[in-house]
Amino acid sequence: MNRSPSHHPGLRLLSRVLAAVFGGYLLASAWSVFIGAVFPGGAEAVLAGVQLSFVVYVGAVIWAFSPVSPGRVWAGLLLPAAVLAALAVLAALLPRLGV
Amino acid sequence: MAKAQATYGAGQGGFRQAQAWLHTWCGLWFSWLLFAVFLTGTLAVFEEPITHWMTPEHHAEEAAALAAPAKPTASLGQRLDWGVAYMEKHHPGAGMWELWPADARGAGELQVFWFDSQRQYASAELDTASGEPLAAAGHGPARQTQGGHHFVDFHYELHAGKVGLWIVGVAAMAMLVALVSGVITHKRIFKDFFTFRTRKGQRSWLDAHNAVAVLTLPFQFMIAYTGIVISGLTFMPAGVVTQFGAGTEGARAFQAALNEPGKPQPSGRPMAVPSLESFALRGAQLMGQPVRAVVIDHPGDAAARIGVYGWNEDAGAQQRLSPSSGLAMFSAATGEVLQVRLPGGVDGGKASLTQSVLGGLHMVAFGGFALKWLYFLCGLAGSAMMATGAMLFIVKRRHKHLGEFGGATARVYRLIEAANVAAIAGLGLACMGYLWGNRLVPPGLAQRDDWELAVFFGIWALALVHALARPAAAAWKEQLGLLAALCLLLPLLNALTVGDHLPAQLLRGDWESAGVELFAIATGLAALWGVRWMARRQASAGKPRRAGAIIESKGAA
Repeated sequence: MNRSPSHHPGLRLLSRVLAAVFGGYLLASAWSVFIGAVFPGGAEAVLAGVQLSFVVYVGAVIWAFSPVSPGRVWAGLLLPAAVLAALAVLAALLPRLGV
Repeated sequence: MAKAQATYGAGQGGFRQAQAWLHTWCGLWFSWLLFAVFLTGTLAVFEEPITHWMTPEHHAEEAAALAAPAKPTASLGQRLDWGVAYMEKHHPGAGMWELWPADARGAGELQVFWFDSQRQYASAELDTASGEPLAAAGHGPARQTQGGHHFVDFHYELHAGKVGLWIVGVAAMAMLVALVSGVITHKRIFKDFFTFRTRKGQRSWLDAHNAVAVLTLPFQFMIAYTGIVISGLTFMPAGVVTQFGAGTEGARAFQAALNEPGKPQPSGRPMAVPSLESFALRGAQLMGQPVRAVVIDHPGDAAARIGVYGWNEDAGAQQRLSPSSGLAMFSAATGEVLQVRLPGGVDGGKASLTQSVLGGLHMVAFGGFALKWLYFLCGLAGSAMMATGAMLFIVKRRHKHLGEFGGATARVYRLIEAANVAAIAGLGLACMGYLWGNRLVPPGLAQRDDWELAVFFGIWALALVHALARPAAAAWKEQLGLLAALCLLLPLLNALTVGDHLPAQLLRGDWESAGVELFAIATGLAALWGVRWMARRQASAGKPRRAGAIIESKGAA
């Protein structure tokens, strides 16, 4: 697992903590935007997304501290966040494209 | 020590070992703040009784009201007319008038509220016999105090507004993470619950930590999660910002979309405020509750809107998880009904109802006193969970240096010991000192309520200085001893300064005052027990035979 000895263990820990706190927050935010954009109900859907986003956040932090390298943790949190955000943008654009 | 665990770092070992690491460190760094949030939040359950104890000037009139419930001195319509007359005369420019005409039985006080030119919430109380404004305090020289609200405010924003709210929010997230990782760490969670090994040092702390946590686990999850969700839109604004725009504009658009009709725009055409009695009576009928407040937006304008809010004192109120009261909204010009909300209902859909219920769950607005006591006990258990966790961390390392901080490890352990004393015993001192401050700060002082807060934070800061200056064991004993003294002498202080005492409180049926003093006595006895326990342990640790037994049991663990 420790294939990069150039990385100081303190830096690896810092990277993991930052990934958990900010990567997790980004994922939870993207989730709330996605739920708000994709599900009908407008403000109600946004509110429901916010309520559930904290469950997503906790899950993300827990996973970030599982035996996975910090690089993987960053990828594992940011990729789904990007996908959710892209789907939200798509959902916002579709009606304008007349689909 | 075949089962030596704590040798794994972050994200090392198996999943469970990695979670144990997370639980240890996330728990440790947040335990002090979370203990403070939890203990003050627990006290906040009994905000009203604490406020009652802290405003002894009100006791006589409250007792009189209890003995002979006040009869309505003026009709609802008369009271509302007086309120409007006062506002027209003294604060005609205010954009919102809020009249609280009476209690649920049509008696009680008549109060008016508005925002002054500095956008501060202002209020006045009017005489219910003449409609004339009463002197500022309204009840003679009552001491100025935040009362039990201090604990409410501190437990969710630390008296630091938005910044404090965010800090507490982060701590609450850390608590959820610590709870989940703690559950994963304890594979034998059910068996652990029935295990308690007394007088086994580290093992006993672990068993106590597990017992209080497992017993009240659903409550701990619920209270942390609902606490976050109440301010969820502040913590997680991305959804609102992307769909409704940023800042107050976006927030307003979002609220309007949640089907909460936005405030009407003033038309600029003048129109006198109509007589409110008919609006109030129609509102009470529509929502099925007595009138608590009548709110006029844009008074004096043709676009004025009149909102009638209900008292949540009907028979069903304690059974409703959603704590919202009834509401009926009218156009002042036409009398047309703009909106009706039944008690417990919400303006929006399912997510809005969920939001309201989660808020009600957190603030225990339902269920009456039995549930308040249940919350109080679960809150104490949660506080004990954090305290025992913080103790466990250091007790584990007293015998076995784990070297997590390299050469600084001994110094960091020392700081953690001091933080434990100041966060646990010191906060107890600060809370009890706050009650002492209430009796000792002179009633006439300007900004007196701020002085009471200064007593709270001052004692807490002194406790930290003391904990840093003294050896840990001595600091524990001295602070717990002082806490016991403050608690056990509180009834005496009250008798000396106000002349009230437990037998008198019980005789007149004043269970709120008696409850505060009885709880203080119970806390004092617990602190005294803590001091004696520590003294005994130190005495036995001095004897070589017993010390050998401790090492033996440690080896067995």
